[in-house]
Order: sequence, then C-alpha cells, then structure tokens
Amino acid sequence: MTILDLHSHSIKSDDGRAKVENYCQWIQKKELPLDGIVLTEHRQFDATSDYRDLEDRFGIAIMKASEVETDYGHVLVFGVNEDLVNEFDFARIDNSLATVLAAAQRCGAVAAPCHPGRVNVGLFAHYATKGPVPGVKLVEVYNGGSRPGEDEFSETEAAKYNYLGFGGSDSHIVSRIGYCATRFDDDITDITDLVAALKSERFEAVSFRS
Amino acid sequence: MSVDIQDLHQQWVGAECGSSSYDVNTDRLLAFANACGETDPRFIDPEDAEFQSTPGFTTIIVSGQGSEALPKDFPQFKGRSIDGGKSVEIHHPIRPGDTLTGKQTIADIYEKTGRSGKMVFVVHRTEFTNQDDQPVTTVDWRWITNLVED
Repeated sequence: MTILDLHSHSIKSDDGRAKVENYCQWIQKKELPLDGIVLTEHRQFDATSDYRDLEDRFGIAIMKASEVETDYGHVLVFGVNEDLVNEFDFARIDNSLATVLAAAQRCGAVAAPCHPGRVNVGLFAHYATKGPVPGVKLVEVYNGGSRPGEDEFSETEAAKYNYLGFGGSDSHIVSRIGYCATRFDDDITDITDLVAALKSERFEAVSFRS
Repeated sequence: MSVDIQDLHQQWVGAECGSSSYDVNTDRLLAFANACGETDPRFIDPEDAEFQSTPGFTTIIVSGQGSEALPKDFPQFKGRSIDGGKSVEIHHPIRPGDTLTGKQTIADIYEKTGRSGKMVFVVHRTEFTNQDDQPVTTVDWRWITNLVED
C-alpha cells in the first residue's frame, strides 16, 4: 500500500511558497502518513529539478507532474514526457480539455481534472453550461484548498458521472502538505508506477484534515 | 476589453521602466531590520564585521509605486488590481555607504485562471547594482489584475 499527496506546489510555481526540502522536513517532523508527494507546478513541467538526494535523505518519494489550465478548468497531468510537452502549450490557460486528455492518452500519461467542484476553474462548473467531456475518468474529489461544500459537490458529481476520485492537498505552503491524499493498493516508488496505478483504478481518496 | 497576452508579451517584455538611485546608510538598514524583527547580529549590530542589509531590504525601494512603476503607455486593464508580492534574489551583501542603482524592466507577462476568473500577471523586475556596478539583488514584483472582460 502507498499513500501519496498527488497535488502540491513548490516555489517553482509562481504562487508556491514552499521549498521541497521544507515539505520533506514537515512530513518527517509531523510524522504524516505519506509515502510521497507529487509536485504539480502550474502551467509548466519542471524537467530540470533533481530531488533524488531529498528522497534518499527523508525516505519520501518525490515525483513531478503538472497542473495545466483548460477550457474546463484546471487539470493535473501525471507521467509528463517529452512527447507530451510537445503536444500542447502547458503555459496557456485556454487549452482544450479534450486535447489535453487525448494527448495524455497518446503519450502514456494520465490527465485528471482537479478541484472539479470549484467555480471558474472546476470541471463541474463548466459541465453545468457546456455539458460533459468524453474521456474524463478520474477527478480530484478531495482537495486541501477547497472551501466548504466544494469537495462534497465534487463527490456527488463524480458519482453521477461514474468518475473515480483521488485526493491531493493542493498545498502551496509547507503546513498544508498531506491535507488530502490518495491511498493505492500497489507499491509506488516512481512516476511510472504512479501512472500505472492510476490506470489500474485501485486507489481511493483520503482526507487527513482535522 | 479583451487582452491578448501573446501580443502584450511580444510588445512589452524587456521594456525599460526607468531607473532609480538609493543611498544606503546604517540607520536605514537598522530601521528595516528591526521592523522585520531580525535578531541576527549581521543585520542589527553595526559593529558586527559582517553587518549588512536584511535579504528583503531592497523591496522597500520598489514598494509603493503601484501601476506608476510601469511605462506610461502600458495598457490599462479593466479590472481590480492587487500587489502580488515580491521575490528577492541576493547576489552580494549591501552595506552602509553603498549607492544602489535599480534598473527596472518588465520581465514577464502571463495569465492564469483562478476562483475569481482570469488574471493577468505583470512581472516588474528591478536589478540593483552597487557603486562598483556589482549586482546586489534582483527584485521581482508581481502586479496582478483580475480582468473584467466585455
């Protein structure tokens, strides 16, 4: 079994205020039940940062993904590779969700809308006016930055569309890491394992908010 | 007003916004360090061999300008603007007696979406050098406008 926070931001994001090392220190100090975190920097894929030393020092898996912006809100992309980076412009805020989903599938990655219950940047707000998009399979039903009611709305709508739910803290500051996470049946040590596990559908969203 | 970020980026990134000069003295360094609650002797003890400015010192030189820091003919966006904060990169210590020169440019323009809708970020960069032309800090200040589109 593996528990991962699938949604976090470091100082590589323009609004991130947490260094990755400080996330690790916090997880260790607070003895959070996390085996790892996934860095999902806004509108980019951070191909250059190397966190292997931190992984060794703290015994925490540190993986890299992206949070991109689409016409149906924000979307996490796991398993970003060179082919996928060339498929669409990660920096744009008006990518087509259908394009992102299709590109991710072609390149062996997984694209999943995050905080879908949020106004403006959540999938279900757009469904209300534009209808559903084929190809969505999983959504972030637990988001550590959600306001009251948003996650409940996400869960209700996800059930309605038969989407699987996962969790992430959406942490931008150190003390928010691990608010929400995802529990996997499988052992996961790297992004390849994570992509396979997300495709296997053997996981569930968990919340550690007190 | 519809904002084309690519056009804005092409037209304005790299544009110079002006320059300013600032004389550093012990009183100014101490006042800022104490206001920040610093306790490190490097920042609050002028007798310390390494006495220097606190890391965020040059942000006060950039502060308070609002949209006036941008070029006069820079487009006015329709919407509510807020200060998105400043980040500082330190290159060399700033010490009493230094004369700083800050060269200001537009470093980046980008957009993102959030709960409140579409936002435009303008990154205003000030590169400070000392009297020896040595870079001391780079301050990036983000000016955010929550767009109201027609």
